[in-house]
Formats: sequence, C-alpha cells, structure tokens
Amino acid sequence: MNRTMILQMIVSGALMGQVYALIAYGFQLTYATSKSINFGQGELVMLSAFFSLTLINWGIAYPLVVVGGLLFGAVLGLFVERAGVRLALEQKSEGWILLTIILGLFGFSTAENIWGRDDRPFPTPISSDPIHIFGIGITPLEVSVILGVFAVMGLIEGFKRYTLLGKAFAALAADRDAAGLMGISATRTIMLSYALSGFVSAMAGILIAPITTVGPTMASTLILKAFSVAVVAGLDSGFGVVITGLVLGAIESLTSFFLGSGWREAPGLLLLILALAVRPTGLFGKTTIRKV
Amino acid sequence: MLICEQVHAGYGNVRVLHGISFAVQAGKVVALIGANGAGKTTAMRAISGLIGPDQGSIMLDRQPIHHLEAARIAHLGLAHVPEGRHVFAPLTVEDNLLLGAYGWLPRLFGFRRKAAQEMDRVMQLFPKLAERRRQLAGTLSGGEQQMLAIGRAIMARPKVMLLDEPSMGLAPVIVQEVFSIIRRLKDQGMTLLLVEQFASHALAVADYAYVLERGRIVVQGYPEELMKNEQVVTAYLG
Ligand SMILES: Nc1ncnc2c1ncn2[C@@H]1O[C@H](COP(=O)(O)OP(=O)(O)OP(=O)(O)O)[C@@H](O)[C@H]1O
Ligand SMILES: [Mg+2]
Repeated sequence: MNRTMILQMIVSGALMGQVYALIAYGFQLTYATSKSINFGQGELVMLSAFFSLTLINWGIAYPLVVVGGLLFGAVLGLFVERAGVRLALEQKSEGWILLTIILGLFGFSTAENIWGRDDRPFPTPISSDPIHIFGIGITPLEVSVILGVFAVMGLIEGFKRYTLLGKAFAALAADRDAAGLMGISATRTIMLSYALSGFVSAMAGILIAPITTVGPTMASTLILKAFSVAVVAGLDSGFGVVITGLVLGAIESLTSFFLGSGWREAPGLLLLILALAVRPTGLFGKTTIRKV
Repeated sequence: MLICEQVHAGYGNVRVLHGISFAVQAGKVVALIGANGAGKTTAMRAISGLIGPDQGSIMLDRQPIHHLEAARIAHLGLAHVPEGRHVFAPLTVEDNLLLGAYGWLPRLFGFRRKAAQEMDRVMQLFPKLAERRRQLAGTLSGGEQQMLAIGRAIMARPKVMLLDEPSMGLAPVIVQEVFSIIRRLKDQGMTLLLVEQFASHALAVADYAYVLERGRIVVQGYPEELMKNEQVVTAYLG
C-alpha cells in the first residue's frame, strides 16, 4: 500500500464531496429565507440531469445545454415553492416537510415514466483522461466539477454580499417582521431562494452526471450525504459546507477502499447521527434545526 | 395623511383593539399614550400590516391600506420603527440603512451611489452611526440601535413614520437625545405617530394626542388640554 494511492483516494473523494457541498448549499439557500428545505431536492438534481441529457440528444451545443439545464432547475425550484412550500409557510405549519417529500416522489415517478428506469451515460465534451500531478491522477472532468461548484457558489455568495436584493436575504433571515417593514416581500424573496436552490441542484446534476450516469435513482444516496453535510456544517454557515464536503468525500473514498464499497454510505450516516447527537447547530452554524 | 376608522385587531382569539379611530394630519406629530397592554403596539402593527385588522379601515394618503401586507404598505410610504428596535443584528450599520431604502433603491447595482445623499443626511443626524458604519448592528448599544432604527426609517423617505416607544430601556440622557431627533424630524416637516408609555415627553412634542385604554380611545385632545385633564395626569403624568 503506497502513499500516492491513498492520496489519490483522498483527492478523488474530496472532489466528489464538493457535489455534496453544492447540494447542501442549496438546502442552506432556502433555509436562510424561509427556515424550510426542499426534501425533494435530490429529485431536482436528477430531473435536471435528465432534462439536460435530452437537450444533448437533441444535438444542442454543450454550453447551451448547461444554461438550459440550470434554467430548468430554477423553474422546478419555483414550482416546488409554489406547490409545496408557500401554503404551509403561510399557515405557519411544518407541512412543507411532507409536501416536498411527496413532490420528490412525484418527480421520481415522472422521470421513470418519461425516461425509463435505466441508467444512461451522459456524454460530455470534457475529457476523462487523467492528468498526473505528483503521481496523482485528476481528470479534467473532476476539475470541471470543482470549478463548477465554486463558480456557482461564488456567484451566489457574491450576489448575497454585493447586491441589495442579496442583502435582503440576510435581512429576512435575521428578522422577518422588520424585513417586511423595509418593504422586503417575504414571498418574493423565498421564491427567489427556491429558484436559486433549483439552479444549484441542476448544476450538481449536470456536473455529476458524466461521472455517475443518469437514472431515476442517481441522487438518492447523493441527497443523504448532502443532508449530512448540511447538518454537520450547520444550515446557516455558508462555506462550512465546502470543508465538510471535502472531509466527508475523502473519508468515504478511504472507507470504501479499505472496508469495501459496501461501506461507502456508512461515514455519511454516521456523521449525520453524530452531528445530530453532539452538535445540532452544526459545527459552523448558529441556529438549531427544529423538528427536522 | 393617516386615518384609522373603527379598527378592530388582535391575535388569534384574543381581541385587543375594539374599534379605534384617529387621524394624523400631514406634517403633524400625534402621540398615542396608554398603559402597558393598552394596545398601542397592536395598533401600530395593524397600521403597518404586520397583523391584518379584522375590521375597520386604514387610509394612507387617501389610499386604503388595511388589506395590504407590510411590504406593500412600506412601499406606499409608511415607515414603522418597531418596539424593541428590531435592527438587523448580523448586518452592518450601513447595510441596515441601505435596506431602509429598499423601496426606492435599485436592487442590484448602483444602490450605494443612489443612497449616498440620504445616507449623509442620516449620518449627520446621528454622528455615532457614521463612526460605526461597518460595525454589526447587533453589537451596538441600545441607544445606538434606536438611532439606527430611526435612521433606517428616515432612509425610506416615508410619508408617515410610526415610532413605537423610542425611549424604551434607554438612559435619561439618551432619551433626551432621541426626543431632540424627533423634534428635528418634526421641524423638517415629517408626519409622525408617536407611541409612548411615559407621556410627558410625548406630549411635549406632540400637536395632538390620543389616550388608549384597553383597546379603546378614551380621551383625545391637544397636549395642553390633556395636561390639564385630571384623569390623564394621575394615570400617565403623575
Ligand atoms: N403576539 C401576541 N399574541 C397574543 N397576544 C398578544 C400578542 N402581543 C400582544 N398581545 C396582547 O395584546 C395586548 C396589547 O398588547 P400591546 O403590545 O399592543 O400593548 P402596548 O400598549 O404596546 O403595551 P406596552 O406599553 O407594554 O408596549 C396585551 O394584553 C398583550 O398581552
Ligand atoms: Mg408596546
């Protein structure tokens, strides 16, 4: 067993972990404005990937496919907000939990009906021939994942920090009534946050699809790990998810190497349980997750 | 400018306001006084749309607003400085002020430049805030937070400003300062509805006043009249 190989495991795992981080970031976006999260977000990842694949099959150029896929994700996010979240929030109920789960199941069966149950390859112009750096092989595809994740998160964080509309996100999160008094519409801001979380999910789908293939179940384990990352990092911690994702991804790939791939999902679950037991506010976070 | 007629409001099954009517003319300062739990805060929340009134009408500048949500009412020119200040604690002083002007600033870019003039005005009024521009609002003292809350409302360029117990929990010197600001706003022609539990300060700046008791307006009049009214004096000025 040599060092390079272990390093290789860590690097590939950590890269993969950035996709968990991105989806976890999607949870954070809606949590910040509405204290609700979309439990069907995995299905958004999957549906957007399928949609993008369809665009590819229609012969549309890859950059346009990405744009189309992202917009599709944003629209799905808006749909989830309208159909599953708004009414529940207006009635101050926790009904969004069940409703977003149901919408997720609905999305799952829709995907099966339209695209079938098989996993399909997702062709991409980005190469998967590894480049070797210090003996560690990294594929351009993996690099595209990390660039994509950082680009999207950087863009949204910049939006939140440097535009007035983005500052309204933080204002709404901090004090809902006071935000209303400033003329910040909670409904519209929450809509925007759901659109952004859909956008982020679609990005995750497009980035991961060439590596994992596309199928109705492609996001089912992904979402669990993203959830672990969100809970461990805290639902309000911004970049905490990046570090947590990095670590979880690395541990995962080591676990599956040393204990066998059947143990691959174990660290994520273990981490989730530990986090909930030891520090329900998340390592980087402040507020607790009630009743979730 | 602001007219409430027969407004009923409350929370869930608890009725708090039982049909109150009052008016605030443009450029005037009107005080609403009353004991703890009289319903002063509830009245303000009903006006600004934080709670929907069950009955009655509220007009802002001849436009009915009682069916609108808070954000819409804010856009129509009503600024409410809530009880307990409610500044955005995790945001900087500057961001708090910018958000005060959310109604009329561009949402994406160029808002800083557009807000500069208004911002300077507020900073002149509250030099302390200028010093603490980049400090998080949650780390300000109570008095500074109150100044910020008022400054944020000024940023909105409102037609009417509601001030709910701006002196609450502040040291006497700071209370003086807050009231001198209120006087300045009045001199600049701002229309104000002022809620105070300790009535003497409020009556000193007000043009007209209403006394609220258990959700009903029991006395109203010019400050000089109220200051001669025995009941009012023993209950609120003694
Ligand atoms: N969120 C709420 N839910 C239920 N009842 C409430 C709520 N807020 C206030 N009340 C009740 O409404 C009544 C009036 O309260 P309100 O806050 O309007 O009084 P106030 O005149 O502003 O008093 P204070 O001088 O103490 O601020 C009180 O009896 C109070 O218990
Ligand atoms: Mg009150």
